[in-house]
Amino acid sequence: MVEGRSGIGKVSAVDPSLLRYGGVAAEVRDYDPAAHFDAGQISLLDRCSQFAVLAAGEALSQSGLPLDGANAARVAVVLGTGAGGESSRDEQYRRLYAEQATRLHPLGIVRMMISAPASQISMRFGITGPTFVVASACASANHALAQAVMMIRSGLVDAAVVGGAEACLTLGSLRAWEAMRVLAPDTCRPFSAGRRGIVLGEGAGMFVLESLEHARARGAPMLAELAGVGMSADAGDIAAPSVTGAAAAIRAALTDAGLEPSKIDYINAHGTGTQANDSTETQAIHQVFGAHARHLAISSTKAAHGHALGASGALELIAMIGALRDGVVPPTLGYLGADPACDLDYVPLTARPMRVDAALSNSFAFGGLNAVVALRKL
Amino acid sequence: MCRASSAADAKRGMWMSLVTQQTYEIVAKYAKRDPETITPESTLKDLAIESLDAIEMIFDLEERFGINLPNEDTDLANGTMAQLVEAIERQLALKTAGG
Repeated sequence: MVEGRSGIGKVSAVDPSLLRYGGVAAEVRDYDPAAHFDAGQISLLDRCSQFAVLAAGEALSQSGLPLDGANAARVAVVLGTGAGGESSRDEQYRRLYAEQATRLHPLGIVRMMISAPASQISMRFGITGPTFVVASACASANHALAQAVMMIRSGLVDAAVVGGAEACLTLGSLRAWEAMRVLAPDTCRPFSAGRRGIVLGEGAGMFVLESLEHARARGAPMLAELAGVGMSADAGDIAAPSVTGAAAAIRAALTDAGLEPSKIDYINAHGTGTQANDSTETQAIHQVFGAHARHLAISSTKAAHGHALGASGALELIAMIGALRDGVVPPTLGYLGADPACDLDYVPLTARPMRVDAALSNSFAFGGLNAVVALRKL
Repeated sequence: MCRASSAADAKRGMWMSLVTQQTYEIVAKYAKRDPETITPESTLKDLAIESLDAIEMIFDLEERFGINLPNEDTDLANGTMAQLVEAIERQLALKTAGG
C-alpha cells in the first residue's frame, strides 16, 4: 500500500462481457487453493473460508500464541464477513436455475453458511472458546474487533483470533452491485473530483488480539494497541450514509479510547469512492474534530485493496498498524484533484512519512451500521 | 413517397409522446404526485426522488422500455425530465437500429 501499488484491474473471476460497466475489481489473483489445501479440505471450504483460514494461520504464527488443550477454551474466534460463502452460493444457484441440475453438491450448505469461516478457523487450529461470525455489511470486521475487545476486557477470554474475510466477486454479486449503480467503471478514486463509485475487492485480514498483561506475560511481539471502539446506527436510510451516525461512532471510539480528538494523527477513512460516502464522511470528520480536522492525515486505502465489504476494516487495520509501527501513512490512490465537498488532506497518491501516535479506522456500512476502531502506538 | 414519409413521422411522433407519457407516469409514481405537475425542466432533486428511490425508478424505466440506461445518462441529482426522456429515446433508437 505504501508503495502506491493497486490491486485493481480487469476482473477475471467472471466473463467481463456479462457485466455492464466493464468490470474492474481488486481480486486475489493467481490464487491456487491446491497450494494451500488438499482436495478433501477444498470441497469443504468456500473461497471466503479459505482466505480466512490462511490469514488466521499467518496471524497465529506471527503472534506465537501457543494453542494447546490448556488454553484452547480461553481463545475466541470472531470474524466479520458481509456475504460469507458467496462463490458456493452462486455456483449452486447457477447449477440449479441455469443448468436445471437435478442434483446439487451435498456440501453446499456447509460451504455457503455465513458462519463457516469462523468454524473452519476453530477446527483448523483447535480453538474451543467463543466462536462466531459478525455480519454488518461493510462494517463487519470492525464490529468483530469490537466484540473481541469486549470479551477480552470482560475477562471472558485471554485472546481472540479476529478480523474479516470476503470473497464476493461472483457474477450474481457483481451484477447486483452494478444494478445499484454504485460501481465505478474505471477505478476507485476516494475523495477525488471525478470519483465514480466503489470497486469491489476480496481477501482476509486476521489478527491475534490479547490483553496487554497477557501479551507481556508470554513475551508476545506486539504491533499496536487497540485503544478503543465506537459503534452507532444511523436509524435512517438503508443505503444513504448519515453525518450524525458516522460522527457518533467516531466520538464513541475516541471516548472509549480516552483520546482527545487533537491526539489523532491519522484516519484510515471508509472512503469508498462514492459521491455520497466521501462527502458525508468529510462532514462527519469536520463535525468531530473541528479545527483539528485540517491537521489530520486522512487516506482511504480502498483504491489499493478495493472494497472488500466485510473484510474492509481488517485490511485497513493492516494499513493502520503499518502507519503506527513504521511511521508511514499509506496514500489515497486514484486521486485526480480536489472536490469542494471533500476539503481535507487525503494524502493523495504518495505515501507520507510521519510519526503516528494515534489513529482511527472508520467503517460505515449500508443500513447505517457504523464501527470505528482507535489504535495507539506502543 | 411523400405520404409514406409523413405517415412514418406521425407514427414516430406518437411513439415519442407515448415514451414521454409513460416516463412521466413512472416518475410521478416515485415523486408521489400528479404527472400533470411535472414539467420538462423538473429535476429529480426538485421532485425529491432520492437515493434508492431514484435507482429503483431508473430500473422501472429500463424494465418498461426494455433498455439499459447508462450511469452517465442518468444524473440523479440535476438531470431534468427532458434529459431523461431524451436518454430513453436515445436508447430506444439504438435498440431499434440494432435490430
